[in-house]
Amino acid sequence: MFYDITLRIEYVYDHDADTSRHMVRLYPADLPGKQRPVAANLTVQPKPGEWINRFDYFGNNFIELAFTEAHHEIAFTVQSRVEMFETSPLFDMSPRLSELGRDIAAQTRLEPWSPHNFIGPSPRVVIDEATRRYARQAAGGDPNTLQAVHAIGTALHRDMRFDPEATTVDTPMLDAFHARNGVCQDFTHIMISCLRGIGIPAGYVSGFLRTIPPPGQPRMEGADAMHAWVRAWCGSEIGWIEYDPTNAVAANTDHVVIARGRDYSDIAPVRGVMRSYGDHKTTQSVDVVPVD
Amino acid sequence: MPFQGAATIPDAITRLLSGYRTMPGVPDELMSEAGAVRPVWLNLLDALSTMTPDELSARMARGDQYLRDAGVFYRQYDADKVSERNWPLSHMPVLIDEDEWTTISAGLVQRADLLEQVIADIYGENRLVADGHIPADLVANNPEWLRPLVGVEPRSGHFLHFLAFDIGRGPQGQWWVIGDRTQAPSGAGFALENRIATTRVFAETYASSHIHRVAGFFRTFRDSMLALRGGDEGRVGILTPGLMNDTYFEHAYIARYLGFMLLEGEDLTVTNGELMVRTVAGLRPVSVLWRRLDAVWADPLELDENSRIGTPGLLGAIRAGNVTMVNALGSGILETRAFLAFLPRISEAINGEALSIPNIATWWCGQKTERDYVKANAASMTIGNAYATRLLSDFDDVSAVGGAFNREIGQSLEDWLDQGAGQLVGQEAVMLSTTPAFQDGNLTPRPMSLRVFLMRTADGWQVMPGGFARIGKSDRSAALAMQQGGSAADVWIVSKNPVSTDTMLSPTASSFMRRQTSALPSRAADNLFWMGRYVERAETMIRLFRAYHVRLSEAQGAGTPLLQSLHDYLKGMDSDPDAAFPESIVATLQSASHAAGNVRDRFSVDGWTALDDLTRAVEDMQRNALPGADMAGSMSVLLRKLSGFSGLVHENMYRFTGWRFLSIGRSLERAGALLAALAWFADEEAPDGGLDLAIEIADSSMTHRRRYAVATNRSTVVDLLALDPLNPRSVIYQLNDINTHIGFLPGVDPHQRLTPLQRAVLEAQTSLSLKTTETVGTDELLELGQKVTAISEHLAAAYLR
Repeated sequence: MFYDITLRIEYVYDHDADTSRHMVRLYPADLPGKQRPVAANLTVQPKPGEWINRFDYFGNNFIELAFTEAHHEIAFTVQSRVEMFETSPLFDMSPRLSELGRDIAAQTRLEPWSPHNFIGPSPRVVIDEATRRYARQAAGGDPNTLQAVHAIGTALHRDMRFDPEATTVDTPMLDAFHARNGVCQDFTHIMISCLRGIGIPAGYVSGFLRTIPPPGQPRMEGADAMHAWVRAWCGSEIGWIEYDPTNAVAANTDHVVIARGRDYSDIAPVRGVMRSYGDHKTTQSVDVVPVD
Repeated sequence: MPFQGAATIPDAITRLLSGYRTMPGVPDELMSEAGAVRPVWLNLLDALSTMTPDELSARMARGDQYLRDAGVFYRQYDADKVSERNWPLSHMPVLIDEDEWTTISAGLVQRADLLEQVIADIYGENRLVADGHIPADLVANNPEWLRPLVGVEPRSGHFLHFLAFDIGRGPQGQWWVIGDRTQAPSGAGFALENRIATTRVFAETYASSHIHRVAGFFRTFRDSMLALRGGDEGRVGILTPGLMNDTYFEHAYIARYLGFMLLEGEDLTVTNGELMVRTVAGLRPVSVLWRRLDAVWADPLELDENSRIGTPGLLGAIRAGNVTMVNALGSGILETRAFLAFLPRISEAINGEALSIPNIATWWCGQKTERDYVKANAASMTIGNAYATRLLSDFDDVSAVGGAFNREIGQSLEDWLDQGAGQLVGQEAVMLSTTPAFQDGNLTPRPMSLRVFLMRTADGWQVMPGGFARIGKSDRSAALAMQQGGSAADVWIVSKNPVSTDTMLSPTASSFMRRQTSALPSRAADNLFWMGRYVERAETMIRLFRAYHVRLSEAQGAGTPLLQSLHDYLKGMDSDPDAAFPESIVATLQSASHAAGNVRDRFSVDGWTALDDLTRAVEDMQRNALPGADMAGSMSVLLRKLSGFSGLVHENMYRFTGWRFLSIGRSLERAGALLAALAWFADEEAPDGGLDLAIEIADSSMTHRRRYAVATNRSTVVDLLALDPLNPRSVIYQLNDINTHIGFLPGVDPHQRLTPLQRAVLEAQTSLSLKTTETVGTDELLELGQKVTAISEHLAAAYLR
């Protein structure tokens, strides 16, 4: 299965920025056996003075850009083609929730994808009694870890309203949880907090969702913008799985991964710092089209 | 000669110590358990015993005066406000025998080496976690573990270059490490200040006892920092979080003392992987940063995105191997309390040796066995946040002391421990040794801890022979922190033999050559420029208000058209003449003080004090002055104080580039104010008396009487205040002055084409010079005002960004 992906993000500043520096994560990831980028091309306006390709701690590739001349707006356009592979169905060999801790403790090395990195609070995810209680209730008793992940995701999808007007990119996770509404970023952060709260290591995935669903299936929420979903560690036997709480589905070939980290702050698609004042406006458009 | 034994104690000393009562079970620095005076103290006690109470307090006052003169303050954080307090010097130094110090030093060097091994492993191979010597969670959940720096090798080959250890003496007389300071240890500058102040108090004793000097340590430190540049031409800077930090005074002081640039994140920028400082002469490379800024704030691009005090791209420059950080970003992880629980075993495991100075016994509650132990022994422990970096005795929001919480949390200790688990750490509660401090003129034992400083040199670690002692307010160990009312004391390491009396200057004159050529950071220039503007702006306002209140007190009934015109003019300046006291003057002087505060390292203490005095005087008048004659009198007082400040700046300040920015600021502000006042009060439509008022607020009444044999008319006033190049209060004088200063600024070359700034100045100058009193109407004055504004904009664009 191939997709052609076109993404455009524009920033317009109220006042000229003197200089600015950005970290840009917009290329589809190379995930052997799951996802293969065939081609990817980023164009940036105005032309950056510096362009550095790098990898972050979690292994995501990103580009560091610096603009050295005063500028009023920046536009990023990415055109990419990616091949997605069907993965074999997952057998639930995850341990019971009460036994997951033993699996975590057995992981002695601290590497980027060690569960230890995903169990405590992170910049955008707090661990709170309210989400913990919610997660315990949704999981009910002592199910297998994978079941618990699905149960919590389903519960959130049932209780939360998808509402692009309700939150912004900087709305604190707990505010969105108490209001029970938000977008994929909020769904994802809330679910991460729920999972970590009951001891399941969980992280954040940013990516794309195919725009037009296959015939006979409903169009999914979040398809017209960049998307986000959850990554959870379900024991040493099956390791990491991915789940999309905004649509209450396990991530599949419709979910194209860009980057993975602890939360949004680790892998924001565009993270920038400029020497300027005032505010800015952002517009974003995404098209993910299957190639026949 | 110092006393070699305690054989004979003079009666005077016995009398001096007659009220000195040590606490049972707690060792004392001055007195042994048997009540004998330790020999190192005898020389000092001998001197003290001969001083009358008056002499002693006169001596202490001398030390305090030094600290005030040197601009050493302490920033105190109260519940709702921040205030500057006098530095809490405990005048009595802590004396330690050289032999004991040698043992302490060796133990701390061993620990420093261990810490370097541990941090290199945490950011490198991570074997200590893999081999089970450090729990993975303790690293992964640690806010000071900076993932973007994993795998980044420091350019110098070392993570740690400057360290501090907090140590204290426990009940059996042994020393303990109670905290590791690896991130950005503060206090070295204060140690130096304490030393100078204390020697003012005990000058003769200091000279005649064999006390190790600390200046040599700083000289070596400066040389080591310069050496860290490697072969390159980059500068050495001290990176400070800025004015609002509680140790900013120390940063400014040590920067002046060592001759390094004091930089804020905003001063720095990264281009093509190189770290640069923005100076008035353009970008200049920086290759070593002694940072006093916590790492998470250092780069908003890759670390905490909320930081407004960092430098975007700094990590890129570090990764590219173009800058050495003292200490490496991320080394703060070693400060977290929980590490104290693991370091002793790590030392055994990787070096096969025990730590010769143990750290205070600590248990991390992330492991069940340890947690159970803490539960069982909570009565003799202090329990708090495992990841905090303060001493455990400086309590957290929630701490448990001796089994009881410092505030109600509605939970049992056991539940709290089970739930907090890895977030909590328990530490043996100990009474630290006491040392003498003056309390109402009498020596009294007070608990103390020492902060000891170590630097890495080409030959390994060197320990500062001295340090910084924290003295508790009461007899409880817990109250050592200065925020809780504790004080600070000097530490004297006493030798049996004469010591070398090093100073900061090295023995050969060539050290003068090593001082780095100064480059004025743009932000410093900006602050000096604005200080010049604000002070001048305040003066203009004060003169206007004085003129207003003089006329108000003379006015009968409804007042004159001129009074109304002046009223409107003040309103137009956002100053309310009807207010009890003009807020705008207070705010303008506060802005001037703030700008001066931002360049403390470049501004004389006298100048600072004068400005501070002025601001205080205004705040005082704000409470007390009455409208009319009283207010006019107050304004005259302020004008006198202002001329005192201006005198200091313009008579005493060295003519370096910074002074030129300050002067340009003053001249631009004055030119603008004159033009505005002339356009208003010398307008054809202006009410009677406007011309005299213009002359008065330009402080040129006397000159006018001498220059012109007639009463004021529009021509004489415009001539004197706009066109006369000999009147220091005329517009053309300001423009000529600005032109002179600009000729000295970087990038201006008489043989090259004019810069946009030079053109702007020339344009204003020429346009005014070609005019006559007849051709300078209100419109022309307003137009010139815009030309003056343009100069300011060009200056900012060329130098201040």
